[in-house]
Amino acid sequence: MKKSLIWALAAIMLLSVALAGCNSNSDGGDGDKSKEQTLIFGRGGDSVGLDPATVTDGESFKVIKNVYDTLVEYGEQDTNVNPALAEEWDVAEDGLTYTFTLREGVKFHNGEDFNAEAVVKNFERWMTSGDSGKFAYYASMFGGFKGDEGHVIKSVEAKDDYTVEFKLNRPQAPFLKNLAMTPFSIAAPGEFDKIETEPVGTGPFKFVDWKRNDRITLEKNEEYWKEGLPKLDKVIFRAIPDNSNRLNALKTGEIHLMDGVNPSDVAEIDENADLKTFFRPSMNVGYLGFNTQMEPFNDKKVRQALNHAVDKEALIKAFYEGQAEPAKNPMPPVIDGYNDDVEAYPFDLEKAKQLLAEAGYPDGFKTELWAMPVPRPYMPDGKKAAEAIAANFAKIGVDAEIVSYEWGTYLEKAQKGEAPMFLLGWTGDNGDADNFLYTLLDKDTIDSNNYSRFANDELHEILVKAQSTPDKEKRAELYKEAQVILHEEAPWVPLVHSKPALAGLKTVEGFQPHPTGSDKLTNVSLK
Amino acid sequence: MAELARNENPIEPKQQEEKPASPWRDAWKSFRKNKLALVGLGIVSFFVFLAVFAPLIAPEGINDQKISSDNYAKLEAPSSEYWFGTDDFGRDVLSRVIYGSRISLTVGFFAVLGSIIIGSTLGIVAGYYGRWVDTIISRLFDIMLAFPSILLAIAIVAVLGPSLRNALIAIAIINVPNFGRLVRSKVLSIKEEEYIMAAKAVGMKDRRILFHHILPNSFAPIIVQGTLLIATAIIETAALGFLGLGAKAPTPEWGTMLADARQFITDAPWTMIFPGLAIMLTVLGFNLMGDGLRDALDPKMKS
Repeated sequence: MKKSLIWALAAIMLLSVALAGCNSNSDGGDGDKSKEQTLIFGRGGDSVGLDPATVTDGESFKVIKNVYDTLVEYGEQDTNVNPALAEEWDVAEDGLTYTFTLREGVKFHNGEDFNAEAVVKNFERWMTSGDSGKFAYYASMFGGFKGDEGHVIKSVEAKDDYTVEFKLNRPQAPFLKNLAMTPFSIAAPGEFDKIETEPVGTGPFKFVDWKRNDRITLEKNEEYWKEGLPKLDKVIFRAIPDNSNRLNALKTGEIHLMDGVNPSDVAEIDENADLKTFFRPSMNVGYLGFNTQMEPFNDKKVRQALNHAVDKEALIKAFYEGQAEPAKNPMPPVIDGYNDDVEAYPFDLEKAKQLLAEAGYPDGFKTELWAMPVPRPYMPDGKKAAEAIAANFAKIGVDAEIVSYEWGTYLEKAQKGEAPMFLLGWTGDNGDADNFLYTLLDKDTIDSNNYSRFANDELHEILVKAQSTPDKEKRAELYKEAQVILHEEAPWVPLVHSKPALAGLKTVEGFQPHPTGSDKLTNVSLK
Repeated sequence: MAELARNENPIEPKQQEEKPASPWRDAWKSFRKNKLALVGLGIVSFFVFLAVFAPLIAPEGINDQKISSDNYAKLEAPSSEYWFGTDDFGRDVLSRVIYGSRISLTVGFFAVLGSIIIGSTLGIVAGYYGRWVDTIISRLFDIMLAFPSILLAIAIVAVLGPSLRNALIAIAIINVPNFGRLVRSKVLSIKEEEYIMAAKAVGMKDRRILFHHILPNSFAPIIVQGTLLIATAIIETAALGFLGLGAKAPTPEWGTMLADARQFITDAPWTMIFPGLAIMLTVLGFNLMGDGLRDALDPKMKS
């Protein structure tokens, strides 16, 4: 009896050892293929789709950026424009004609040639669709679609095999920066129907397979146009929703890199001899928005009062572990046109009470404060931040009940204007002021990204003028002016600009997080 | 005439009121002999005391955050100043645990009271009238008992929307079949008793028989079951709170406190230990007391 039990136990142990072995092999870890370099990137969620032009979420772009290239690309850790698929370009003096000379000899992963025809076909697909729900980024960056009044691009033409000419309806200052955005990646024209799930680009990695809600596997593009790159043989993007589970996976070596590190875990990672932290250069803003069309937030004085009632330093100390700086403008300081002369509303409850009284609410009022349910790069814990903010609001008589919904519902309802006060944030896509001020606060973008439904004609005039002002200095002046208006009108309480933390094994080399939130892993290798 | 029929031995009205007290005195005697039950009673009284006098006992309010630059006390370990330490908002955990007893005890008590009222009514009706009424009500109970209770509670809260009041309603609903079945079976046996036959024979109305004779005779098991179910209800409140379906921040509900403290389990275990201990102790208290009451009140257990 006893003997058989021991045998059974032994058998179970043998089996589990054998199975564990299988597991590590299939992950492409050490095993016999030790020369093959596989990097596993752990992240909070799965991609929505892999067609660059039809998605809007960061988790999709993280993968897309490694499969595709854009005509021009950003620098390693900045948003300056560098050559990519286009080797050089020429801008006509009136700013209405851009001529790109394309790189020769580049092939898509399916063997198709990359040439002027391919570029034209991609742009035709976006600009003639007329579907602003599907091609949301195209519509919001280039003023709608072909035939629309504000549409920026008049025509895209192939002059010869490797020359493309863009003619614009009106000058657009950030045109090149926009072209470098991941949504405008060039896909293989023969595969448009399939790229949603099986992407085909020219990028450093080829798509292998996608297990929904689990992993996306990419392999090295041997014919990549950058000589000797990429260094990795394989990249796997794994979705591990919980921040602490993901960190545990990193500690056990199950993954090599992760984003979404809890600020409170940074100290622990720094102490760990096998791990290191990376900080994404800050290009975001976390904010508390007021619905400026709803009582009592349609009164400027109320909005200003609440601006005085938020203790940003306390928030940063308590919930960002100091890895953030207080915000005073709706855009981060790294962006051209940031107005440093704007004086932040000081944390002053007396002043706040006084302003409330002037607005006719000496005893405060009852309202809701919406808090996002998921950790975001610009705000690690929305509910906690809301609780801290609400405690100070309570001191001036503003009784704010904290409300939260599932993430998709939250965004949808807030977009429709159902939230009186809400927490949210934005990570810049192209490093341009337009991508913050116009996208988030212009009256044109109500019902899309202007969740505070703020409409101001003076501001609108300035922002539209800035869009078509090519002169850098003059543009910056216009944006500075816009920030003064926004400070006075106070449609938000700008809270913080955070430095999102990432973590990786010490063996990961050459990883430089990009401020836009998605990273090309071309130069990354494992020691 | 009705007055006479109400008791088996017609006596003076005044004494009538005192006479039924004697079985309760017996029960108290036997309860007193049960040391564990007394411990339970002690624990429960202690928490009731905390709940009633919370504002006097607690050193701070429930939401006195200390995270501003001039007053910073985030996640401080237990010390002479903060006996139970502070949480991630710099709030005194001791004060929050004390105020938390108010929530757990009220929700536990009223949820159970609610289930007693609904459950007993349904149980009496089912047991006394029998036939198709009984079938419908009993099957309804069967259906409700077929769900795991916490799952049913989650479903109810999901429909009503998460809040403390709705958590209370959900807990009350899921416990209805417990009392319903208990009372129904009690009614079935009592209604065969001779004094009920006598009451019927003298032409007493159904309602009077039900609420003046049958119901009072079912009190003992209801009280026993009720005490034990308060313990369950407290755990269920905490579970719903833990899942984010109960009390909303910054209400110091114990389960919600546990959920908030999860991420600090290694750095600041006191944020988790004390609310957890509070839940454990109250539940233990009610269970011990309930067991003691069962021994004291249930005639079958008496030797």
